[in-house]
Amino acid sequence: MSSLSRFAGKSPWLYRINAGSCNGCDVELATTAIIPRYDVERLGCQYCASPKHADIVLITGPLTTRVKDKVLSLYDEIPNPKVTVAIGICPISGGVFRESYTMSRPVDEYIPVDVNVPGCPPRPQAIIEGIAKAIKILESRS
Amino acid sequence: MWQLVLLKNLLKGPATEAFPFGEATTPAAYRGRVAFDPSACTACRTCQYVCAAGAIHFEERPDGLRFTLWHNSCVFCGMCQHYCVAKAIHLTTDWHLSHEQARKYEMVEEGWVPFRPCLQCGELMLPATPPLMRLAYRGDSKEIEALRHLCPKCRQTRAAGRNS
Amino acid sequence: MPETLKLIFQVLVFPGGLFALCLGLCLKGFERRIRARLQRRVGPPLLQPFFDLAKLARKDTTIPEGAPACLFSALPFAGVCSMAIAAAMIPITGVHLAPAGLGDILVLFYLLAIPAIVLMLAGSASGSPFSAIAFSRELSIMMAYEGPILLVILTIAIRVGVSQGGWIALSLNDIIAYQQRYGAFLFDPVMWPALLAFLVFFPANLGVAPFDIPEAESEVLDGPLLEYSGPLLGLFKMMSAMKAGVVIGLGIALFYPNAPGGALGLMCFVLKCFVVSSLGVAVLRTSMGRMRIDQAFRFLVIWPGILGLVSLVVVLWRY
Repeated sequence: MSSLSRFAGKSPWLYRINAGSCNGCDVELATTAIIPRYDVERLGCQYCASPKHADIVLITGPLTTRVKDKVLSLYDEIPNPKVTVAIGICPISGGVFRESYTMSRPVDEYIPVDVNVPGCPPRPQAIIEGIAKAIKILESRS
Repeated sequence: MWQLVLLKNLLKGPATEAFPFGEATTPAAYRGRVAFDPSACTACRTCQYVCAAGAIHFEERPDGLRFTLWHNSCVFCGMCQHYCVAKAIHLTTDWHLSHEQARKYEMVEEGWVPFRPCLQCGELMLPATPPLMRLAYRGDSKEIEALRHLCPKCRQTRAAGRNS
Repeated sequence: MPETLKLIFQVLVFPGGLFALCLGLCLKGFERRIRARLQRRVGPPLLQPFFDLAKLARKDTTIPEGAPACLFSALPFAGVCSMAIAAAMIPITGVHLAPAGLGDILVLFYLLAIPAIVLMLAGSASGSPFSAIAFSRELSIMMAYEGPILLVILTIAIRVGVSQGGWIALSLNDIIAYQQRYGAFLFDPVMWPALLAFLVFFPANLGVAPFDIPEAESEVLDGPLLEYSGPLLGLFKMMSAMKAGVVIGLGIALFYPNAPGGALGLMCFVLKCFVVSSLGVAVLRTSMGRMRIDQAFRFLVIWPGILGLVSLVVVLWRY
């Protein structure tokens, strides 16, 4: 079975969680997938609709208090091995919403984050770089 | 006709950037990692005041000022660069900011702006930096250069003495 | 006894099971690459579907709360088995004859319905509201396309049967032999309505745009497969890959089976599969939007239905 683990890094399926994001980072995520210029499918990536199919979780947004429980239960749905990537400064530190009473920031207090991609939003190449780092971690985990 | 579009696409070949397998193109005006030059900083703290994300912090200590910019809070708006009179802060085109969680708290730009003793009385103060002097006086003169290293008090005394 | 062994080999290795799986996965990889090129992207490696399967084999499997665990995990196996048997029943000209022990084209017709039924049951077994929507959509789509495809099969069977002096020929081998002798139906204007009806049926059956409504990712989150993960999901991927091979293979057998014998025949078959997959599936997937379920239902009932009836009437009248 261990020989199969070599292939884990060749087929990382991406799942997006929007934890109260302003949609800026989500647009960049969509860009990495759809626009021919930043074809993330070259890495074998594929955006999947169901959390049960995911390998790499991309979290955007500062984790608002309202969405927190839903994000946590969604995260638990994702089968192991999984790698979490925080996209944008909001999940990393809270960003410009840091001091707000409606935020449960930062995400890594609740979810084990593995890779951070700062930016507001990060450019698509930076996201791809972050995903490439996450793939390395995924390979070591499976 | 969509069939023609598809055929054209097929014939033209992929329009994909080489990154991550090669170099990515970066526009010259890209606002990426922030670089701070402590030797040019006059500690006016305008950058801290205009920083929308509150990513810039000055800590005053007896012997100088510690500048800290947290890249994981910065929104790369470039306001600090825009308002910096002394040109001590600017945004580079480096966008390779993604990092593993272990390095989360290392993503800072730090600088130490030391106080210098006044040449006359020895009191600690922050002299005006050369870029600021160029901006203020256009030309260099020995007298101004000498005044630069005096504390406000000594400067006043010298100026009063010269006039009398 | 050797006959039984041969049958088992045919179902498990060639042309069923392993061969159909590899063919289906290669078709999928090739189709994904072509689709990327049509969108001016580079696209994934050609072996990407194999990598996906290998990865899924290593993932955890979770069974949702309240789902009947036995049914939930048995369904994908049923799907893969049905497709392995169906693949063994697809004749490859000059290489493989449909074994009589497995049954005729009507059995194949029913086997082809099993993946859809498996998906429906999987959707209802996982207990998710999205899957329930997918269940009803899958059912309506299936109701719509099953009738017309039966008309198409009937048309061809009657035409071949009449030429044999009987009334109806239900063996795919006979259909192929007829076309080998008198020319492929693909080039016969009389059969073009049936061909068109089949061309509409095949994206509907494979869940390709514009008929990918049950598995719509953006609306019902992969529909019936929503709750599946790991190896069980991998089995579903295997099932759909094999199904692609079977349906395209059936199309080739019905309309253009002409090929030389031996290894060349096998190459011809594979080549035809790749052409259909890249010309049909990839182009459809890139250029088509998704229909609404009511539009798709109406479209699938009316157009292939009319075309099937026309071809049946024409064939009955001419032969």
